[in-house]
Amino acid sequence: MFRALRLKQESPKVVPEPKPLTIQEWLGDAQFPLGIRTINALPYDAKQRFYRTLVPPELLGRLGINPILWRGNGYQLELYAPEDSGKVNISLNNPEDPSDAYFVLELQDNSTNGIDLNLILLNDPFAEKFGIELDEQGTKTHWGTITRNLREEERAMRAGLAPAQVRAGMGMAREVLHQLDVFLALCARQAVSLEPLTYASAWIFERRGFAYVRGHKLMDQIHREFQPGGALRAALDGSTPFRSPEAWQTVRGRAWAIHDGILEHIGERWRDLRMIKVVGKHAAAQTFPDAKY
Amino acid sequence: MRDNLIITRAAELDALAVFRGFIAQTCKQLGIADDVSFQLQLACDEAATNVIQHGYEGMNPGSIMLELQPGPKKITMLLTDFGHPFEPVETEAPDVDALLNDRPTTGFGLYFIYQTMNDVSYFTDERGNHLVLTKNL
Repeated sequence: MFRALRLKQESPKVVPEPKPLTIQEWLGDAQFPLGIRTINALPYDAKQRFYRTLVPPELLGRLGINPILWRGNGYQLELYAPEDSGKVNISLNNPEDPSDAYFVLELQDNSTNGIDLNLILLNDPFAEKFGIELDEQGTKTHWGTITRNLREEERAMRAGLAPAQVRAGMGMAREVLHQLDVFLALCARQAVSLEPLTYASAWIFERRGFAYVRGHKLMDQIHREFQPGGALRAALDGSTPFRSPEAWQTVRGRAWAIHDGILEHIGERWRDLRMIKVVGKHAAAQTFPDAKY
Repeated sequence: MRDNLIITRAAELDALAVFRGFIAQTCKQLGIADDVSFQLQLACDEAATNVIQHGYEGMNPGSIMLELQPGPKKITMLLTDFGHPFEPVETEAPDVDALLNDRPTTGFGLYFIYQTMNDVSYFTDERGNHLVLTKNL
């Protein structure tokens, strides 16, 4: 029986170090947690069987792609999972322009041997594309986080997109995150973490059951400051197209204002947020009650 | 189907009242006696306060998840956070009979929890840091 709880000085590894497994180990313990590096060390066909669970068959069916072969209708899913790497990237790109991604999912082993969701993109191939990823000099904007293409961002916003979106979404985040839970359970893993790129993506992940490792207090503060009398509400002064007085009412409106740097009015920046989803559990966090997207 | 028995709030003192209300309401719905409900609220207050004051030290505070898991003869309360992990240590129980001026100012939180709960355990895994409190019914 312990009588006190003392803060630990170092963060412990959450599972053993990832390494190639012998057949005996594979067969021996279905509860042994697998990392991305361990799966990547398998022969190509074996790792593709694992990674196939990450892609919702509905998404592939909608585009006329065979869910087993990962190709069809002129499309081809790409799997990048080098055997000496702890990262996997699955992508579906525009066959005529490989830099134009329709679907991307990237997972990586992290420093405590947990699994991070680095990137999830779900762009409707049939929706209009907005050139927010290149600025007017043709330099990559990294979804508007390094530099910005204000003209294209404004067009995207008026078309109903959230910051960092180049096209309207496919409306399949729920299906992809469900498949991610299935994949994690298959690997005997219990959670996945991520860093939300925008306020809108944090809200979406929250709605899908994620909690906050860091930044829950900031999300609450943002909501509070967008209420009447709040500093963010007052800063919605129409000084840029992204700070319209109505922006506080919706997730997207707030997200564009935050993308435009409005958090400086409360001495904050959009950084250092981290979220976690426990497999099979919905955390029921709610930082924007009764939100309208 | 029963309502979700999980609630998640930012690790701030405001969360304590929300957690107490959640426990009270859930216990009422489950037909659990008021004295048990009160003990669960007290234990939750102590445990969550510890996380709020120390667990997220130096961090942009994240969440505390409170989950109630009713069983046939017991109820389990699970508090999960994602801050710095704690390390369970053996120390002497605080002397509650000592004169007020001679009593230590800290160390009473777990003492109160042990007084009210039937089982207490703590562990960290990839889902976060978990304090598991069980109360027999």
